[in-house]
Amino acid sequence: MKGIFKSKPKTPTDLVRQTRDLLTYVDRVGIESREPKRDEKMADLGKLIRELKSILYGSSEAEPVSDACSQLTQEFFRENTLRLFIVCLPKLNLETRKDATQVVANLQRQQVQSKLIACEYLEKNIDLMDILIAGYEDPDMALHYGAMLRECIRHQSVARYVLESEHMKKFFDYIQLPNFDIAADAGATFKELLTRHKSTVAEFLSKNYDWFFADYNLKLLESTNYITRRQAIKLLGDMLLDRSNSGVMTRYVTSRDNLRILMNLLREQSKSIQIEAFHVFKLFVANQNKPPDIVSILITNRNKLLRLFADFKTDKEDEQFEADKSQVVKEIAALEPKGNEHEQAG
Amino acid sequence: MAQKDDQEDEPKKVLYPLDPNSYQILDEIGRGMSAIVYKAICIPMNNSTVAIKAIDLDQSRSDLDNIRLEAKTLSLLSHQNILNAHCSFTVDQSLWVVMPFMSAGSVQSIIASSFPDGLSELCIAVVLKETLCALAYLHDQGHLHRDIKAGNILIDSNGSVKLADFGVSASIYEYNLSHGSYVSSGSSSLRFTGFAGTPYWMAPEVVISHSGYSLKADIWSFGITALELAHGRPPLSHLPPSKSLFMKLTKRFRFSDYDKEDGKKNKKFSRAFKDMVGLCLDQDPSKRPSAEKLLKHSFFRGCSKSPDFLVKNLLQGLPNVEQRYKEAKIKGQFSLDSRSEKDDQEDIMEGEKVKQRRISGWNFNVEGFEMEPVFPGEKEEDDIVKQVRFGGEMIIQEKGGEQSDVSCHSSPGQDGAFCNVAQDISNVDIQNLAIGGENCEGGYNKEVMLKGLLLLKKSLEDQREKVVNIIVSLGGGVDDERSNEEQLKQMNEQLRIELENEKGKNHALESMLQSFKSRLSNE
Repeated sequence: MKGIFKSKPKTPTDLVRQTRDLLTYVDRVGIESREPKRDEKMADLGKLIRELKSILYGSSEAEPVSDACSQLTQEFFRENTLRLFIVCLPKLNLETRKDATQVVANLQRQQVQSKLIACEYLEKNIDLMDILIAGYEDPDMALHYGAMLRECIRHQSVARYVLESEHMKKFFDYIQLPNFDIAADAGATFKELLTRHKSTVAEFLSKNYDWFFADYNLKLLESTNYITRRQAIKLLGDMLLDRSNSGVMTRYVTSRDNLRILMNLLREQSKSIQIEAFHVFKLFVANQNKPPDIVSILITNRNKLLRLFADFKTDKEDEQFEADKSQVVKEIAALEPKGNEHEQAG
Repeated sequence: MAQKDDQEDEPKKVLYPLDPNSYQILDEIGRGMSAIVYKAICIPMNNSTVAIKAIDLDQSRSDLDNIRLEAKTLSLLSHQNILNAHCSFTVDQSLWVVMPFMSAGSVQSIIASSFPDGLSELCIAVVLKETLCALAYLHDQGHLHRDIKAGNILIDSNGSVKLADFGVSASIYEYNLSHGSYVSSGSSSLRFTGFAGTPYWMAPEVVISHSGYSLKADIWSFGITALELAHGRPPLSHLPPSKSLFMKLTKRFRFSDYDKEDGKKNKKFSRAFKDMVGLCLDQDPSKRPSAEKLLKHSFFRGCSKSPDFLVKNLLQGLPNVEQRYKEAKIKGQFSLDSRSEKDDQEDIMEGEKVKQRRISGWNFNVEGFEMEPVFPGEKEEDDIVKQVRFGGEMIIQEKGGEQSDVSCHSSPGQDGAFCNVAQDISNVDIQNLAIGGENCEGGYNKEVMLKGLLLLKKSLEDQREKVVNIIVSLGGGVDDERSNEEQLKQMNEQLRIELENEKGKNHALESMLQSFKSRLSNE
C-alpha cells in the first residue's frame, strides 16, 4: 500500500484524489475494523487533509496560491468528495476533524472561473444539510458540523433550503441545549440564517409569520433561561430593525401579546436585556398607526414606563439611545386615548 | 489531593454533568472583574475535585460571541499542556466552565508565595518548555493566546504544566460573521487588530499597533514571562502600567534593567537562557523565532527533567491554592505593593473581562478598579490604538507641550508621561483616602503601608526621572523642576475646568428632569 506514496504527491489534484480514496476506504471498513494497516491509513489520511488545509490557508512560510486552490477546489467538487468528508467525519480523530472542517469551510468561498462551484454542488446535494443540522444532536460532532453548516448557508440557495425545511423548528431547541458551547454555536447559526440573506429572510418571515413568532415568543423570549432570552431579544431587534423586514415589523408591533412580552423584558434585572428590549419596544411606540388596544396599554402603564425611563441609561454614553429614549418618552407622555376608552393612570 | 482524569490521546471523553446541583463549591480561589474561580467537587464523579470558573454574562454587554468562541476553542483543543474545560453550561446569569483543578495553582502565585526573587534556571527551563509545547500547538492550530504570563501557567500536584486562560485568545481561522469578511488568508499575513493582554507582557507592536499583531506577539510575551520567572516579576513592573510609557519602554528590555531595581541580588543566568530570551524580545516580530523553532533552542534541548523535578523543587512545602489566595487577599487589601500578587491570584484561571482590571493594577483596592481604570473598555482601546499610531521613535520626538488634552490615554509621547505622573498623584490621594477609610474600621498594618508608600515614592521618583529625561532630550532641561510643576498645575487646572463642565452638565440634566416631572404632574 505504501506504493501510492512512494513518489511524493505533488499536485493538489493528486492530493484530493488520494484523500478521496482513503475516505472511501474509511467509509467502507468502519471504525472498529481491525483490518491490517488501518491505523497507518488513518494516519496518512490525517496528513493528506492537513496538506489540503495548508494549500487553502497557506502556512507560516507561504501564502496560499490561487492556482493551487482552484485546482484543489475543482477536483474536490468534480466527484462526491464533500459527502465523504461529511459522512466520514465521525470516524476521524479530533485533529483531523478540525482540519477537515476548516477545509470544507474554506472551499465554500473558493471561486473557480468566478463561479462558486461549492454552491452548485450543494444545490445538487442539498440533503447534506440534513446531516449537518442533525449534528447538533451529537455532542461530539456538533461544533464541527456546526462550523461547516454556517459556511454552507453563506450560499443563499442553501440558506433558503434550511429556512424552509422542518429543521427550522428544531433550532428553537438546539439553542437551548444544556451544553453551552453547542447551544451557543446553534445560536450563531440561527442568527446567521435569520440575518444574512435579506430578501430570503424577509420572504421566510412573512410566509411563516404565525408559527415562527408564536414559537419565538413562547420558547425564546419567555424562556426561563437568561442566555436564551438575552440572545433572542437581541436577534429580534436585529430582525425587526432591518429595513428589508419592515413589513414584518409593522405587523409585529400591532400585537398586544408582543407588547406585553416586551414590557416584561423591559422590567428584567439584566441591564443587557432591558436595553435590547428597549430597541424593540420603541417600535411599538413609534408606530404612527397604533391600534387602540396598544394605545390603551401604553396609557395604562404610562407612569410606570416614564418612571422606568427616567433612570434608564446605557453604560457608555450613547447619543442615539438617549435621543430614542427622549422621543419615546415624548410620545408616551402625549398619548391620547382612542375611541371610548378612558385614561386610567395608575 | 486533586483527582485528575488523565486524558489520553484519543480520550473517551468523560461526560461531566451539566447541572449545577451536581457540584459542590468548596472555596473561592480566584476573582476577576466578571468571573470568580471556585474549587469544587463533582458529586456524581466520586467527588472528584474540579475548578469552576463562573463568568457573569451580564457584565459583558456586547454580544456574546467572544464567550462563545472561547468556549468553542476550549472544547476543541486537546493537548497535554493546555487546560481544557470538562464542560460548560449556564446557571442563571453565569456561565460555569468546569475545568480540571490544578492544585498547585499558577506559577506566579508559587513565585509570590515562595520564590519572590525568581526560580532556579532548571525549574524555569521545565516550566517554559512545557508552556512552549502548548504554544506551539496553539499556533499550529491557528490560535493566538494573547496573554502569556506566569499567572496563566498552572501546575498540578503531579508537576504537570498547563497553559490556561483563553479569555482573550483569538483564532485566525474564525470568520467574522457580522462583516462577512474573511479574517484569514494565510497565517503568515494574519493580522489582528484590537487590544488584549496585560501591559507588562505586551509586545511593542501590540502596544503601538501600527501593524496589528501576529503569532509573534505571543513569543514576545513568552520572553517577558521568562524574565518574570527569573526575577519574580516582569520587567518594569515597578512602574504603573500605562500604555504611553510602554510604548517607549518596550524598546529596551535587558537583563540589566533589573540591576537598578534590585541591585543587591546578583543572579547569574546561563548564556543559553539569555540568548533564548533575547531572541524572543527582538523588536522586529519577524525576527523572533516561531514557537516550534524555539523548542529546538539549546536552552530547551538541554532540558530533560521530568514533572517530578517540579514536584520536588517547586511544589514542596507550598501552601495550597486556597491558602495562598486568602493570604494574598489579606495582604492585597492594604499593601500598595500588592499588585503583582493580586494580579496573579485573580488570574488563576482567568475571566475574560479581567484584562481591563489588570491594566489598572496600579489601583490597589477593588473599588479603586472600578473608580479609575487606567485603560477604559476594549472598544475605546481600539480607538486609542488608532490615535497613537506614531510609531516608536516619533512619539518621543513629537513636540507635545501644553495643548495636551486631559485624557492620558489619547495623548501621545511625553504628554502621556506627564499625565501619568499626574494620574499617579491623584491615585495617591485616592489610595490615602481609602486607607484612611479602612483605618477607621479595622486598623491597618503600619509596616505594610509604610513599605507600600515607600515603594510608591520610589515609583514616583522613577517616573519623575523618566519625565526629566524626556524634557532634557527635548532640550528643555534647565528648569525642568519648574516646568514639571507647571505642567502639573496646568493639568490640575484643566481637570478643574472639566469638573466644572461636568457640574454644569449635571445641573442641566437635573433641571431637565425637573421640567419632565412638572410636565408629568400637570398631565
